[in-house]
Amino acid sequence: MKNPDSGTLEGFPRPPATDSAGPSPAASARFSLIRDKVRAGEALSFDDGVALYAHPNLMELGALANEVRERLHGDRTYFNRNLHINATNVCEASCRFCSFARLKEGDPAAYTMSHEEAWGRLRARVAADDPITEIHIVNGLHPGLAFDYYTELLAGLKRIQPSIHLKAFTAVEIFYFAQKFGMSIEAVLQALRTAGLDSLPGGGAEIFAARVRKKICDDKSDADQWLEVHRVAHRMGLRSNCTMLYGHIETAEERVDHMLRLRALQEETGGFQTFIPLAFHPDNNALMKLPGPTGVEDLRTYAVARLLLHNIPHLKAYWIMLGIKTAQTALWFGADDLDGTVQEERIYHMAGAATPQVMHPTEIIRLIQNAGRTPVERDTLYNVVAEGAALVSDKPFRREVRRALEVVS
Amino acid sequence: MSIEPRALPTPAPGAVTLDAQDLFALGRQASAAREARLGRRGSFVRSRQLLGPASWRGPRDAAESFVDDGDLAAIGGLPAARAAGIDLFVGAPEAAGAQAAAAAGLRVLLRFPYRLGETDGQRLDRLAAIAAVPAWGLLPTPVGEPYGLDTLRLFALCRLALPKVPHLLADVGALGPRLAQMAFGFGADEIFAPIVAERALRLGANAHNPALTRKEAVTLIRGAGLTACERFSDGRLEEVAS
Repeated sequence: MKNPDSGTLEGFPRPPATDSAGPSPAASARFSLIRDKVRAGEALSFDDGVALYAHPNLMELGALANEVRERLHGDRTYFNRNLHINATNVCEASCRFCSFARLKEGDPAAYTMSHEEAWGRLRARVAADDPITEIHIVNGLHPGLAFDYYTELLAGLKRIQPSIHLKAFTAVEIFYFAQKFGMSIEAVLQALRTAGLDSLPGGGAEIFAARVRKKICDDKSDADQWLEVHRVAHRMGLRSNCTMLYGHIETAEERVDHMLRLRALQEETGGFQTFIPLAFHPDNNALMKLPGPTGVEDLRTYAVARLLLHNIPHLKAYWIMLGIKTAQTALWFGADDLDGTVQEERIYHMAGAATPQVMHPTEIIRLIQNAGRTPVERDTLYNVVAEGAALVSDKPFRREVRRALEVVS
Repeated sequence: MSIEPRALPTPAPGAVTLDAQDLFALGRQASAAREARLGRRGSFVRSRQLLGPASWRGPRDAAESFVDDGDLAAIGGLPAARAAGIDLFVGAPEAAGAQAAAAAGLRVLLRFPYRLGETDGQRLDRLAAIAAVPAWGLLPTPVGEPYGLDTLRLFALCRLALPKVPHLLADVGALGPRLAQMAFGFGADEIFAPIVAERALRLGANAHNPALTRKEAVTLIRGAGLTACERFSDGRLEEVAS
């Protein structure tokens, strides 16, 4: 069906070289310069980033981001088998975009897991013979928990499954521990590492711009403190991820500034593995009057991120927040990773995410293959766990998972 | 210290079923085809649906009244629908109702069911088979949960394969607002969704409510890079003021 010479379908008219849906001559010229820089491997500037956000031709932007994605990873698209544990939603911070947190114990829907409850999540996966390789742990800033609650949480999980990779505690949590328990960031990380910590997730970055943080999250660590935690972690040899919460009150300039600050730290340390743009969900929080980002805005953000963050190897389309359909589409707009099976997620579902809480590997593989990509199961550090014939699902597709997928928006 | 990208193998020729040139070229082709017919405009319409005898969903002053094939029997057939003021029939192409509705002078919006696993060739054959139906518009309708890329490719195929069908609509209820908006980049020109004065938050039982406010519809269309227009009963498109 495809004509390999033209890239068009036989029998259909060839599109005009520059269709009239395209950008203005000035925008085209600017884009052309940016494309040359990207192809030469040069770092894009702040102005380049802003111009990409304003570029009217999404297809052109997507195609360039896809070039970079394929240069880095070919068709390979990564996922892992993981479990999320959100051990408590009691949180001192009052982030206006958050639907998950409760100010104190006893508030409606507030909870704090006992160690046994949290460990039980892993025991259940082990009992089900589910070969997860990672546990992702993110919590509220609970004012009443002792530091050893966290160290024992990690140590207990490692006792159950010593090989499990513990990606735990955002930089915001680490900074909170340091302040609350009178420790240095390094001492906190060292203690957690001794207990079993293997790497840091990327949450809590939100948008670095002080103007935005003052309005949406003014009582937790600021941008410099967030970056410092990751700097220290990288210096200690820990890898981490980084995120950006977009689609609320921030401007395109503030998004670009955010990404460039991440890029600068990466230039210094090289410790970031993955950038994860997080689409704001407006339900159940103080910003519920805002509309949230649209699908085109999602794709544009992924494409710009792939082009600006040339030194961060991976770009993750986190299906829990994007929705499965948009996450799959993002695999052609720069993303090379879909995250994992997740199993149980609370933070974004309390904000209105309509995705299921679990996606079976069979479904992830099918989703990737349907996108014309090659699925690769990875561990947290992007070592290959399985690919090719070894990827064949090890279990029948469970009925409850099918039911969950049927209600996906 | 820096992270070196892992050395990754070049994919074998033919291993990829959907390449970048394919996807992005399809989007450009479909957009160009839409633009040649309709310009750089995307539209929405305030409509109401006849569900049964004297049973309506939607505002009284809607610009368009439609009936779904599935409700036709309960209403009393096409004559009763016409008598109620219906001007648009929505139904599957194989239904006898589509031809009869066209013969009766109603505009016909054809549902085009699609499902995962179909090839482009199979879809093009099915599109060719319905080319003879005098349709006003085509409404791609997924059977089961749609995938994003599969849906976008289908929209492009629909636009390109049926150049005589004036309109290609994106169903917000079936696709979700994100994917429906993306479809504008692949040939769609109108949103198919109830337009309401004020939408409740999409929570609980309302989580999958496809209704959009006028402002939301305009935001989706403009966000897709098109000029947002409201369509009226006489077919006129009026640009929504900024």
